[in-house]
Amino acid sequence: MDARGAAETAAPSAVDRAAPRPVRELAPAVRWADPRLSRFDPLERILAFDDFNSGTHGWVELLGNYDGRGDLDTVDDHMRDFRPPQLSSCSFFDVGTHGAMSGTYALKVATRPEAGHTAVAIRRLTMAGRGRVQLETYFAYKAEAASEENQAAAQPGSGEWDGNTHPSETQFGAFTIATDICDGVRYHCVARYLNTDHDNRSRQQWVYPLVPEPTPREHLEGKVKLPRTADFTAPDPDDWRPFGEPQELCYNEVPTKVNWHYLRWLIDTRARANVELQVNDRIFDMREVPVPAYAESYGSLQNLLNFYVSVRTNTNVRNFLFLDSVLISVDW
Amino acid sequence: MTMQQSLSVVLERNTVLSGEFATEPYEAAWAREARWFVRVLEMRGVDAWMEATTQISPDGLHWCDLDGGSVNVRGPGVVSWPVREFGGWLRLRGVVGGDRAAEEGVGAKVMIYLALKS
Repeated sequence: MDARGAAETAAPSAVDRAAPRPVRELAPAVRWADPRLSRFDPLERILAFDDFNSGTHGWVELLGNYDGRGDLDTVDDHMRDFRPPQLSSCSFFDVGTHGAMSGTYALKVATRPEAGHTAVAIRRLTMAGRGRVQLETYFAYKAEAASEENQAAAQPGSGEWDGNTHPSETQFGAFTIATDICDGVRYHCVARYLNTDHDNRSRQQWVYPLVPEPTPREHLEGKVKLPRTADFTAPDPDDWRPFGEPQELCYNEVPTKVNWHYLRWLIDTRARANVELQVNDRIFDMREVPVPAYAESYGSLQNLLNFYVSVRTNTNVRNFLFLDSVLISVDW
Repeated sequence: MTMQQSLSVVLERNTVLSGEFATEPYEAAWAREARWFVRVLEMRGVDAWMEATTQISPDGLHWCDLDGGSVNVRGPGVVSWPVREFGGWLRLRGVVGGDRAAEEGVGAKVMIYLALKS
């Protein structure tokens, strides 16, 4: 038979691919009984469960695109130094190993000690269906403790220690969770916790971008050329808008205490829309938060489903985002 | 049997180093062994050379040299050396210089890889 004549059928629907009903009914009970899963609230199908005691699970440094000769000098300046993630035991100068929420290791994404520097770790998947997609994680965020070498205490954002709030808290800039999705239309769902603004003033505000991120192709076409420390998600601070009321998180006073926060972020790839964001005891309705899409089409990306996390410092102090574990689930 | 873990990371990518330098701290307490790969793409300046030493740290803030963890490079190519019993943190500290008094324009364009195994 001519292979070209082989029948092609549409991908099975969520209903067709669903587990048999008795299994579906049993799944929540089984998940509740598993201490590794009972702290999550997954959708029907778990696509990925990343426990960083067993490796990086595909979370890798994001790098911009390069030419056909493999010349890395052709990578955009602002996308060539996002730093490799680390499997961290959360070790500090004062107490040694803090450890993760589960086991010893967490994924650590770390900036350079340079105002405007961003570190990004990305996880690359594709979509076998359309519908709700959820990312859950337990995270912590920290600025680097001061030392004689890093001179953090003398950098912008620092101040007087009042015995409670520590100066390093306002030396942490922002962390972001985001996607890169393409179903023919390419778009990004993005949520950022803006801890401080560019002047290191406390904001503690969730924000979203009005524009899609600049791409290497746009640079190649002469549309954009961004400097090394540009905010790659949306370079212009005026292109960000708040959603919800400010939220105070648990930095816990000093840069060496790690308290794990629960985050659950739900999007809908059928509607190309945000749905909601839960961070500890707060749930933000994101249905009205716009999702910027590219006006032009991109090849080579059919069913792209990427997640990234980033951390961005506004001062010359390293900023860290720690993920204890990540669970990605879908309803297809 | 549980398969062993491994992880290779790129700490510097087409970076031109000159004068004294140190790579960003890298946390790898999970790894039993490590190996540096320094790929020199280009040496710039007259009689340029690069010296690099493995440094270790208990906390990522305070550093000392690890004995036997040094290389001296004078031209393009790949050099590599192993690291063991390093505790939890690794970085490379070094200097790029020239043999002549005038060190203007001296630099080393490098890729620096760290390969780790449990």
